[in-house]
Amino acid sequence: MSMMHDRENAPGGPVQAVCDAVDELATRAMLGEASEGGAGNVIPALIALAREARGVKLEKIATNAEELALRLAGPDGRNSTVLLDGIARLQETTQASVQAAETERDKTPAQEAPADAVAQSPAPVEAAGWAADPELLGEFFMESGDHLNSIEAMLLTLEQDAQNKDAINAVFRSFHTIKGLAGFLAFPNIQEVAHEVETLLDCARQEKLTITPEVIDVVLASADHLKRELDRLQRIAAGSAAEDAQDHRPLLDQVRAQMNPGDGRQKAEVKSPETEAKKAEPEARTETTKKNVAVESRMVKVDTSKLDFLVDMAGELVIAQSLIEHDGQLNAANNPRLQRNLSQLARITAEVQRTSMAMRMVQVSQLFQKSARLVRDLSRKSGKQVELEVSGEDTELDRTIVEDLSDPLMHMIRNSMDHGIETPEQRAAAGKTPLAKVSLKAYHQAGFIIVEVSDDGRGLDRQKILKKAVERGLVQEGAALTDKEVFNLIFEPGFSTAEKITDVSGRGVGMDVVRKSIQKMRGRIDIESRPGEGSTFFLKLPLTLAIIDGLVVKVGEERYIVPIFAVRELFRPAEDARYTVEGRDEMILVRGNLLPVTRLSSCFRIEARAAQVSEGVLVVVETTTKSFCLFVDEVIGKQEVVIKNLGGTFKRLPGISGGAILGDGRVGLILDVDTILSGIEGNLEHV
Amino acid sequence: MAAVVTHSQESSARTDARAGKYLTFQLGSEEFGIRVMQVREIMGLQDITAVPHTPPYVKGVINLRGKVVPVLCLRSRFRMETAEATSVSCIIVVQVQLSEGDAVLAGVIVDAVSDVVNIAPAEIEDTPDFGSGKTTPYLLGMAKVKGKVKILLDIDQVVKATDLAELNEMPHEHDA
Repeated sequence: MSMMHDRENAPGGPVQAVCDAVDELATRAMLGEASEGGAGNVIPALIALAREARGVKLEKIATNAEELALRLAGPDGRNSTVLLDGIARLQETTQASVQAAETERDKTPAQEAPADAVAQSPAPVEAAGWAADPELLGEFFMESGDHLNSIEAMLLTLEQDAQNKDAINAVFRSFHTIKGLAGFLAFPNIQEVAHEVETLLDCARQEKLTITPEVIDVVLASADHLKRELDRLQRIAAGSAAEDAQDHRPLLDQVRAQMNPGDGRQKAEVKSPETEAKKAEPEARTETTKKNVAVESRMVKVDTSKLDFLVDMAGELVIAQSLIEHDGQLNAANNPRLQRNLSQLARITAEVQRTSMAMRMVQVSQLFQKSARLVRDLSRKSGKQVELEVSGEDTELDRTIVEDLSDPLMHMIRNSMDHGIETPEQRAAAGKTPLAKVSLKAYHQAGFIIVEVSDDGRGLDRQKILKKAVERGLVQEGAALTDKEVFNLIFEPGFSTAEKITDVSGRGVGMDVVRKSIQKMRGRIDIESRPGEGSTFFLKLPLTLAIIDGLVVKVGEERYIVPIFAVRELFRPAEDARYTVEGRDEMILVRGNLLPVTRLSSCFRIEARAAQVSEGVLVVVETTTKSFCLFVDEVIGKQEVVIKNLGGTFKRLPGISGGAILGDGRVGLILDVDTILSGIEGNLEHV
Repeated sequence: MAAVVTHSQESSARTDARAGKYLTFQLGSEEFGIRVMQVREIMGLQDITAVPHTPPYVKGVINLRGKVVPVLCLRSRFRMETAEATSVSCIIVVQVQLSEGDAVLAGVIVDAVSDVVNIAPAEIEDTPDFGSGKTTPYLLGMAKVKGKVKILLDIDQVVKATDLAELNEMPHEHDA
């Protein structure tokens, strides 16, 4: 509302008028006015619109409108799709033009903004940067971000092998690109830092400088600085209040300092025999570096919203195709060629859907790179010698999962480094090598992705966990618990066994948050641990958040989808297996276990066809805490469905986690078995 | 009384934010208007999937080219008596601005759509006080066009999220 108000009163008034005119035309077209009087009566409106648009310099809209008017006047003008398609295109153009006009206006005050920021602040210069096309700016952020990530990975390679020329070159090129882009868009801070680092690396390239850990530190620090700076600029670009730039001068001094000290000594080192001996190994690394470069150049960057749209459309295509395939009239035609073409269409459609889904998948390598950096930093800080071993970096996961996995994974690594791995002295005393190992593995298993985080540290201390749990009142004194049950206690909120609180971990927030976020992705977490040998955390994650295997069930006239991962079994019960408690709550005997029965019809207050349990089907479902039976009329079958958000209009609905488009194009609701029960418990409170 | 003043759009925008183009539609004997800018689509009635734990006026959700969109029955939203759907009944899909800043799509079922009209500031009057003391939040005002009164709706308010999940206000039906 208020947005509209602003726009109408805004200086862009004439633009708004054009925009309104297009909207009106669209609505008229939808109303079907055109089909009654022929498309003819839209033509004058289009011509008027074109004139108006030209008057306010919206050339694109004007040509678009004129073209449409011409087409409508032409031979296929009677065809209603010409009008509708044309109008849709016109609306798109208008939207783009209005957005362009708005950014134009937004940036004017930025340019005119008095340099109230102190002279040393770069604000006025930045304003010039904003004058750039927002698309260009977005590309700059994305590209620089990618370069910074690869810089980090390459630096870690360099740290292992200071002579790796390809890595030096790659880092040099990345900084060079960032410098160029920043210069083009007038971000002097970024440009300056990138320039200094580039100079430093150039020395290394020409073998005037040896890559020492100090050099790597300062380059990493510069990369971090640029990352923070980019984040800041991105926030400003997104419309948040301007923040002061970080002071980059101390950093520049540090970088310069690395360039000067005793050139001669370092040159001598380059030629030392030790490095010659290492020559053999870098060869292998060179290969992988080259491969990475080759893969990168074949990538196309796409906005995720466009991908999501493509997935939506592919889903619709599948539905449209299945409607055609099951069309009675077409099938009755009994034409072999038609049948062949139809099945060809079915195959192609399925392929399109599969491919569009696959486009959402990204490799976990990005996540593993981040871990490598964390392990490096933490081992420096804590004085523990730790080596990170990774495997399966090319395993693919849904983009959203990779993003959401980042925090929990980092926390688990921090935990392993802090609690799991002993100090070098302790390790020596235990007869272990001083170099500890943390390993990260990713692999497929039965339709899931498993991410393993393991360490060869001291393992979980059963006694200590139990003692703490008793103190916290989480378990009864003397309770007989299996190892697994004891280990799972560390996921309880507020549980922390760290004897001292460090800045690494041990604030008692963490493992419960880790478990929660894994569960949110519909994954689970398990622990294996042996005292003295280390522990392994297994994260079992779905391949994608976008699709689930669902069991389609029917209650009354409505169909619901039960996620397969929650279903343990299905059966049609005998009436005599049913028991009631106080004549109301139902229980059913399943292989000697009494399970509560929940009627979906009464949860959702709908009419069921089956009144007696023997008339319907019981679906035994498992939640994180308990099992129960869900009573439905019938089970229609298993289907892979694309999960859709029900949208912001519905807040939390008990028992429902989302919607999905079923085979006939209708929406089916996906059940959330965890909250179905809480919905019922809520109901009981009301009674 | 039927003073039809035709202002140009620009000058009207300056005097009353409510002026502008409206899509008008019928609900019973009354005529309502929604801003054209918020209208995204007009479609015939189709199968609606009911969503439990929602107030009675939420008819459920539909599939709008792969997007799940909630549909409200305006008659029951305004506590008018329900009517059988006819061949001219339709769903108007509107884009609404939720308080959290998200723009979402929602459908409203109406008896029939009528026309697009341009409403000038002079034709708009504030919603009269019907004696209850509080003004109805989802009414922008009343417009008199050619002697007929059209009720201008603030469709954002009609669709507001808080109402869609007003579970606690639901009369509890006793489980069998």
